[in-house]
Amino acid sequence: MNTHTREKNLMMKFGKFAQRSFVDNFKSVLVIIGFFLFWELSVRLLHTPEYILPTPSSAISHLLFKQADANYNWALHIRTTVFEFLVGYCVTAVLGVGLAIVIVWSKRFKKLSMPMFTFINSLPIIAVAPIILLWMGYGIKTNILIAFLVSFFPVIINTMTGLDSIEDDLLDLVRYLHASKLQIFLKIRIPNSLPYIFSGLKICSTMSIVGAIVGEFIASDRGLGYIIINSQYSMDTPPIFSALIVISLAGAALYWVVSLFERLLMPWAFKSQKV
Amino acid sequence: MEKSINAAIRKIVPKLLYFFIFLAIWQGVVMVFKIKVFILPSPILVFQHLLDPAIAVKYNWWRHISATLMEVLASFIATAIVGIALAVLISWSRLFSQLLSPIIILFNSLPKIALAPLFLMWFGYGFLPNILVAFMIAFFPVIINTSAGLIAVDDDLLDLVRYLNASKLQVFVKIRIPNSLPFIFAGLKISATMCVVGSIVGEFIAAEKGLGYLLRDAQAFIDTPTMFACLLLLSAIGLTLFSFIGFLEKVCMPWENVQVEK
Repeated sequence: MNTHTREKNLMMKFGKFAQRSFVDNFKSVLVIIGFFLFWELSVRLLHTPEYILPTPSSAISHLLFKQADANYNWALHIRTTVFEFLVGYCVTAVLGVGLAIVIVWSKRFKKLSMPMFTFINSLPIIAVAPIILLWMGYGIKTNILIAFLVSFFPVIINTMTGLDSIEDDLLDLVRYLHASKLQIFLKIRIPNSLPYIFSGLKICSTMSIVGAIVGEFIASDRGLGYIIINSQYSMDTPPIFSALIVISLAGAALYWVVSLFERLLMPWAFKSQKV
Repeated sequence: MEKSINAAIRKIVPKLLYFFIFLAIWQGVVMVFKIKVFILPSPILVFQHLLDPAIAVKYNWWRHISATLMEVLASFIATAIVGIALAVLISWSRLFSQLLSPIIILFNSLPKIALAPLFLMWFGYGFLPNILVAFMIAFFPVIINTSAGLIAVDDDLLDLVRYLNASKLQVFVKIRIPNSLPFIFAGLKISATMCVVGSIVGEFIAAEKGLGYLLRDAQAFIDTPTMFACLLLLSAIGLTLFSFIGFLEKVCMPWENVQVEK
């Protein structure tokens, strides 16, 4: 297959995925639009003061147009937060999956480390945020590290579980056929762990954003978390909602990209669903 | 009974051993490399801040511990009751399910911690906003797990009891709810950690007491031992709640234990 047709194939798959996810989500989109309409109307009809609950339209106009009061450089703040959680997320994905493979390679190491990871995962990791701040000072690096720490453990635990939950019969069979350890990893363990990896990555897509935002809450001079806190001090509610809308959209977009990768990398899982 | 106590001890001892080895390595590293206190305090110093009356009195630990504990427990209980009740409602009636499911999914994908400053603005400083943040974060694992458990019932079993003219209520009480117990407890375990996280984040942003507040306050004074002591206490609260749920799970589903022992 030459690259051109492969690209075409990918594009077709992408188109189908987009179409299907659109139809799947049509009903939910209706309910969500209804929710926003209800919000807009009830605020207008009840004359709720803006500092308590702004209308969604006012929140969006704060995002798009210049305001008389508090003007934020939205492009800068959005870029900062997106950069933080994307870097944190990518490091989580690469390091989580990579480290899991290295650990599962050695049986003894796996036995030692798995309980440790599940233990750490049951701790409120976000509590280390102020300590990281103390060590590294304010800035983007701190928030990236927090985003990474918060989202790292679900990925490594899920990947290890996936690499490990192989049918014994299958392993016996390939061992009988003299498969090397590398072959077992490449052809059996890693493909088998893909669903686990992706479910871990999906959980973490929101978590890395939460990590970045909490870091910005605690200390920073830019980013969407900074806008939220700053507006809270001045009781200026609409920018809070603008930031919330952007954060949710970013979270949804990251989730969607991960599911897209999931469909492209494991087409078999979705074929069986269609039948 | 004696057997189960023995088994519990056998389970706990190696974990405690790991913990002490970890502390010993930490102490050794700090002493050998002469790491400065404000970067990484030794565990002995951390425990001194927590236990030594001469130092600990300055921090008024109990005031902060009780505040955080109150928030965690209140949000956890609210989470458990509302989450399970809503899940039952959703799986009971189709109308509710169609109305609520998209909204629940929408909120689930929202980074809810970002709502914390908003709650602080609406409800003022104090317990209520922190409890609400913790509740918002911890509530979804419970509702999602419970409804998955209520739905995942063997079809053959349902056919059988339908044939025996069981009422909908009977099906719920005798089949669906017992079937969903493992799912419910799995959800509660996840939400236990999240309740702690939610309470702390609220305290980070604005509070006058609580371990999250103390953590931030100590950070401002570069008082690292106190920060580590807070971290230790927060982990202990999370773990205690976690293991309490594990204990409840064993009490509520004795049939599971029998299977394991086989």
